[in-house]
Amino acid sequence: MSVMVEKFKEGYGVLFDRNWPLWVGAIVLALLGAICMAAGRPWGVAGGLRVWGDWIFYSIGLYKQAPGNALWLSNPAILTWGLLFGAFGSALLSRQFAFRPAPPLELLKGLVGGVFMGVGSVMAGGCNVGGFYTAIAAGSVSGFAMMVGLLVGALIGLKYLMWEIEHLPSKPPKQRTAKEGGRDWKKVQPWLGLIFFVFLVGWAYGLSYRAYTQPAVLMLAAVGIGVVIQRCRFCFVRSFRDPFMTGEAVATRAVALSVILSVLIFFTIKWFRADWQMIYIYHHWIGGLVGGIIFGIGMLLAGGCGSGSVWRAGEGQWKLIIAVLTFALSNSLFKNYVWTSKFAAAWGKPYFLPDLTGGYFWAIVITAVVMLLWWAVMAWNEETDRLTMV
Amino acid sequence: MAQWTPDEVLDCRGLSCPMPILKTKKALKNLKPGQILEIQGTDPGTRNDLPAFTQRSGDELLGEEQGDGYISFFVKKG
Repeated sequence: MSVMVEKFKEGYGVLFDRNWPLWVGAIVLALLGAICMAAGRPWGVAGGLRVWGDWIFYSIGLYKQAPGNALWLSNPAILTWGLLFGAFGSALLSRQFAFRPAPPLELLKGLVGGVFMGVGSVMAGGCNVGGFYTAIAAGSVSGFAMMVGLLVGALIGLKYLMWEIEHLPSKPPKQRTAKEGGRDWKKVQPWLGLIFFVFLVGWAYGLSYRAYTQPAVLMLAAVGIGVVIQRCRFCFVRSFRDPFMTGEAVATRAVALSVILSVLIFFTIKWFRADWQMIYIYHHWIGGLVGGIIFGIGMLLAGGCGSGSVWRAGEGQWKLIIAVLTFALSNSLFKNYVWTSKFAAAWGKPYFLPDLTGGYFWAIVITAVVMLLWWAVMAWNEETDRLTMV
Repeated sequence: MAQWTPDEVLDCRGLSCPMPILKTKKALKNLKPGQILEIQGTDPGTRNDLPAFTQRSGDELLGEEQGDGYISFFVKKG
């Protein structure tokens, strides 16, 4: 019996003490993203945040009409809830949940970064996930535009961070730094996490029992994404930023690998479901580029992108909780008041890559070549530090 | 008590990714080889990021110590 307990503890340690390697995240994210796609709603984060923002403004009376998407069960909302819940539960299982305060300047950066990301994600048709990762996988040309925008935005954002370190003396936080809590709290966390996951699975079962099968599938997939992303600390910001900051390209490799896997699966699904070809191809060219730049600056300020802000909020980091809120609110406002259909139409058209290349084959080749090129340039930089700015 | 005596202490408490690494990189630039930098941090990501960083930079991560509500990492400049 004691051997069993020992082995269990050992396994638990592997899963929840140490972080999982990034390539595990790359593969599992591609698979879970494919499940979302197969369920009819590809993975995204900004859409769900907008639903939250819509409901907040509706509840305070700014919006007269009730939002079209339900707060809980609409597809975009449930994907983002699932991500948050999965990351929260995973942080509990890993004894990593704690409300973590931050100095005022950091909180301000979270606030401003959230606004930038909210606005940028409206222009690009999604955050780093919906506008870049899932978009490229789905064959949307705008995904490549956003990729360029994100790289430029990350460079600008990093320049600012370097300026800040030189010119703004960081005030040491008042002694109220992160309270990890006492030993007892840490011991209780895994049990709370376990109860929480049982609750989530029960909830999904209840949903499917009442014929809400699609939301149930999407929620379980999103919870899985939340767990994986928290355990790997899978971070899209790192993939864009770190080559310029520390030279490290491990996150870049992981994201590039994940995109290549995703595009293979997405295109297979789209091949068999011709009526789904235009799913997730509604973004615009220039919107992706400009939105990507704005979003890229925002994610550097906040230290988290769409998915990264949500999972870190699930760990209890105040800076990212604020970023998620201002992301949701600004996205909702910008979408409803600024991004009128006439304005947006001037920013380009949706293009499905296989339509331009005359079939799926060359679309896959082009996507893979772009990703491998990104990988190769950053791997070269890892050796030479030629692009490293810091 | 501290197993290593730092030549400089970097307070990164309350800061989240990427600020601790960015500040560490900058602080190490101002040290001489062999000198020791103590980085006090609260971000759960630092425990991952710092070893990866020092491995590339050629500095040596000596180890870590639990402080009161934070973790101290000790890095020897290479």
